[in-house]
Amino acid sequence: MSIFLHELRFYRRNTAIWTASLCAGTALLFSMFPAFAGNTQALEDVLRNYPDVVQKAFGLSPETIGTVPGFYSFIVTFLMLCGAVQAISLGISVLSKEIAGKTADFLLTRPLTRGRVLTAKLLAVLCCVAATSAVSIGATFAMAFSVKDAAFDLGPFVLMALSFFWVQLIFLALGFLIGAAAPKIRSVLPISLSTVFGLFIVGMVAAALDQKDLYYLSPFKYFDTVGILQTSAYQTSFVVTAAAVTALAVCAGYAVYGRRDIQAA
Amino acid sequence: MSIVEVNHLKKYYGKSRGIEDVTFSIEEGEIFGFIGPNGAGKSTTIRTLLALIRPTAGSATIFGLDCIRNAPQIARRVGYLPSEVFYYDGMRVLELLKYSASFYRRDCAARIRELADALDLDLKKKIEDLSFGNRKKVGIVQAILHEPGLIILDEPTAGLDPLMQQRFFELLRAENRKGATVLFSSHVLSEVRKLCNRVAIIKEGRIVNVDTISALQDNGYKKITLEAKGAVSQAEYALEGVTSLTVQGNLVTFLYQGGVNALLHMLAERELINVTIEEPDLEEIFLHYYR
Repeated sequence: MSIFLHELRFYRRNTAIWTASLCAGTALLFSMFPAFAGNTQALEDVLRNYPDVVQKAFGLSPETIGTVPGFYSFIVTFLMLCGAVQAISLGISVLSKEIAGKTADFLLTRPLTRGRVLTAKLLAVLCCVAATSAVSIGATFAMAFSVKDAAFDLGPFVLMALSFFWVQLIFLALGFLIGAAAPKIRSVLPISLSTVFGLFIVGMVAAALDQKDLYYLSPFKYFDTVGILQTSAYQTSFVVTAAAVTALAVCAGYAVYGRRDIQAA
Repeated sequence: MSIVEVNHLKKYYGKSRGIEDVTFSIEEGEIFGFIGPNGAGKSTTIRTLLALIRPTAGSATIFGLDCIRNAPQIARRVGYLPSEVFYYDGMRVLELLKYSASFYRRDCAARIRELADALDLDLKKKIEDLSFGNRKKVGIVQAILHEPGLIILDEPTAGLDPLMQQRFFELLRAENRKGATVLFSSHVLSEVRKLCNRVAIIKEGRIVNVDTISALQDNGYKKITLEAKGAVSQAEYALEGVTSLTVQGNLVTFLYQGGVNALLHMLAERELINVTIEEPDLEEIFLHYYR
């Protein structure tokens, strides 16, 4: 219990800053909606001039960009990108900081199994991510209702908003595995950014090429907003993949960390 | 019952050696020294005992429990002080010690204050603002605040001034009198001699000797210093029982192990101005092992 509280205390400022930034980003992006909604026809014409590949890569659909869910399906991608960076950074740092700061000796000679230590740490960062998701999804709803010009279908909107949390969960798990397995990470952010942007670009390329099989390689595409907008549902095979990737990363993290040698400082 | 039993412990990091074959045991109530130069495998052995690393082969038990499988149970009764202490920089000393105490299901508040007083440690300071020596004091308090049955110290005196070293040794002796067993690793012989009953000597990953301090000193070695008439050559003294021979002009020193009569016969045959025969320092005996 004390590790859990210790970690929460350690990350509370970081989490507050991320949450506030995401809310600000959400507000900023939604504030542009009236401009889009006001000139639907002109906007559609502009977008149609973009090459098909670009439209697909960014998940732009000229027909829906003027509606609140359509607009959100476009901007949520960027919010997810930020959320993913936060989550993977937390996942990596909650383990790597003990190695980099040479405090692992202290923590791992306490009367706890390594599994207990990992669980306490994982739960703490999970709380941080859940808090960020909850608040920023709340902000999303608040903004959506304040800018809407017409009633919209809530179903796909809720699914997309929740996707933000699912994506954070996947990246938290990936970060946890990296933190458990990597030898010594002095600086977390470069690894977080390169992993997140790498996977994001894979998703963009997959979308541009219209290769649905490649979607499995990018967690950003597991909850494809264009698809949700059309069908008002998640695609089962991707939900299963997302759950499997998350579970596997966490289990592998436990397995690797449970056996790893903690080298002398 | 042996508190610690190490059986043919071996650890390789990939291809590089940590330890090759380490076997020794520590009895209840002992202050046991673990001596060897840097890189001999002291820390590797200790880190395996603490389950921070997993052995390649062999095993070790503490309180009769397997040191890897039962690590959490063992840890409840073990205090550990590494050679370099690192704690969470942002925390204050008292916060860190309370955090540490929180793992042992007992109220250590009074004991923290008592130990901090004994070591002159400011509990309100932030860890990051502490000097190396003061961090070490935090480490000492942290290692013994839950009154462990086994205290494991890995080159603990680095960074402590002589006065603090003395207080630290007093604290250790006090814990020892209360029943704590101590494993004390060091490459500084004088402190081992001051504190320990028995020592294990480790060299290149293997234990080369385990004995009491007094037996080590009383192993028949004599230290001989001679002043000869005129220059002498090294070859004249390269005899059986002679080790660590040095010749400087007409000055000869060596360690001798063997019968005293044979020695005196040998000396009587030579033209000497002066001779002294004394017990060698512990240092010299140890150097002998590492030749």
